Amino acid sequence: MTEARIRPLTELDIDAVTRIDEKITGRYRPEVWEQRVVYYIRRDPDAPKVAEVDGRVVGFMLGEVRGGEFGLEEPTGWIEFFGVDPAARGGGIGRLLAQELLDHFRAQGAHIARTMVARQDRDIDAFLRAMGFAPAALTALERRL
Amino acid sequence: MSDEVTRELPKPFHDAVVHWQQHNFPDYPRLAEDWERFFPKDQPFCLCARIARSTGDTIDVGERKGQPKATAPKDLDPEAAQQLLAIIRAQASTEFGSIQQHQATLFRANDAEDQAWVLRVMAEELRHGYQMIHLLTSADWSPVTEAKPADMVEEILSMKTGSHVLAAFNLEYDSFVDNVVFCAFIDRVGKYQLTMQKVAAYKPFAASMPPMLREEAFHLATGVVPLRRWVQEAAEPSALVTMDQLQRAIAKWFARGLEMFGDERGGETNVRLGLKDKTNRQAQDEYVAECEQMLDDLNVRYLRSRYKDRDRDEIDRVYATLKRDGGRYDGTSWGEDLLKLPQRAFFRRRGEHAFELTGFSGDRFEDVEKYVEHVLARLPEAYRASIDVKHWADVQRKVARGEVTLKDAVKSMPRLARVGGACPCANSVRWVVDGSGAA
Repeated sequence: MTEARIRPLTELDIDAVTRIDEKITGRYRPEVWEQRVVYYIRRDPDAPKVAEVDGRVVGFMLGEVRGGEFGLEEPTGWIEFFGVDPAARGGGIGRLLAQELLDHFRAQGAHIARTMVARQDRDIDAFLRAMGFAPAALTALERRL
Repeated sequence: MSDEVTRELPKPFHDAVVHWQQHNFPDYPRLAEDWERFFPKDQPFCLCARIARSTGDTIDVGERKGQPKATAPKDLDPEAAQQLLAIIRAQASTEFGSIQQHQATLFRANDAEDQAWVLRVMAEELRHGYQMIHLLTSADWSPVTEAKPADMVEEILSMKTGSHVLAAFNLEYDSFVDNVVFCAFIDRVGKYQLTMQKVAAYKPFAASMPPMLREEAFHLATGVVPLRRWVQEAAEPSALVTMDQLQRAIAKWFARGLEMFGDERGGETNVRLGLKDKTNRQAQDEYVAECEQMLDDLNVRYLRSRYKDRDRDEIDRVYATLKRDGGRYDGTSWGEDLLKLPQRAFFRRRGEHAFELTGFSGDRFEDVEKYVEHVLARLPEAYRASIDVKHWADVQRKVARGEVTLKDAVKSMPRLARVGGACPCANSVRWVVDGSGAA
């Protein structure tokens, strides 16, 4: 497979991101991705990344630097959404995306990156640990309403 | 944390921009009122010049490649300084011009979020205009112009729809469809210009581009996302905005967008002088490819909305076949229902295809009357009745009959507004007022 090229996400990637999500989840949710993509483009268009192979988008990673979340005042690079086309997995695309996004976080002054992963998502958990993430001294709490 | 520094204009110029806003952008105060609702947690809007700190120090392209970038106009090659001054003035004209256009139909948005997005775009265009004025007033341009900074600012702020430098900024909007299509097509040209100018041999100009580009990314989304929602709704019989309306708006704007790149045969001078890194044709080719992709995505979104029971792969196959062969699929016609990019020579007034008799799909016409009829049939109804279209048809006919040379035709512009219109306030005839009386 040709080496993936990582570049910032643009408004013209909405369709590709929607397709990757559809392949992963089986749900067609263009409205959801339109809102999310606009949010990240509006906040810091250089942060969210896509991976392109032979001119086709095969992966995406959305995140941004924020401070003040959950009492964490330090600037934090939050990784919030990512996906790789199932047909393109195994080629290190997730790793390339994460490296680029983490580099951007550093350039924006963040010294720490954070994310959350559901316990049952073992593949995602393994991927993040391979990228150097470790359990944080934080507890994720929830309550049904 | 920020890679940028901000600067405010000296008071007379700052006040002149604020004064201009009060007359030309009366909805501006609503942005602050709506900010928390539509842009929660985003940095508040700042009417200021934003300058990137991390701009390179050496020239990237052209004859002086590798040499230090100029930090004052006098350090530029005189030809480059002259050319750059014209670029800054034209850029400023587009920023202020687009606000005047957007303002006229902003109230006709039927979705509060779409309207808020356009309102933010307008404010950011005001900031971009402010940024260009900062470039004109924060350096000594006397080596290349006799005009004083106040006079250059005065000239820019005096322009109205009809007297701007580029044709795209002299067209009136007919409805909120124009606000959105303009963002998708004309702001996209802006993105190309700003990207090319990032390499400029004049460092203050190059350093102005990254902050503007970051904002421009949202402007393109302000065009594309409402378009995506509209085409989805256009698959329903009760749609407020139809595919036909969108197609006509594309026909109105696309040719003007192409012309904003300059003549397809030119642009080498700007590359040679180190002001841009692409020729006009290179940039235009990339722009057309992006527009093509945008329309492909919109058409697929329309088909998926219209045929909800068909899966993604089937819709992809159907669309590929319709685009390649034309024809129909289960009630959808390639010719009537889906969005298409006009051929590049269609409805042109500048560049290598100026006043050619080339139709929407590339078909050639021999009879100018049939050509005018063909173009009119593809434009929005309200626009067909405009002075701009009447002027184009008149010039097109004269060129065909040999009554006007192509050179004169290319230079010909309808005068929709008087050039040099002063501030409408009874107590002031200039936008820039010395001292504190401007606002």
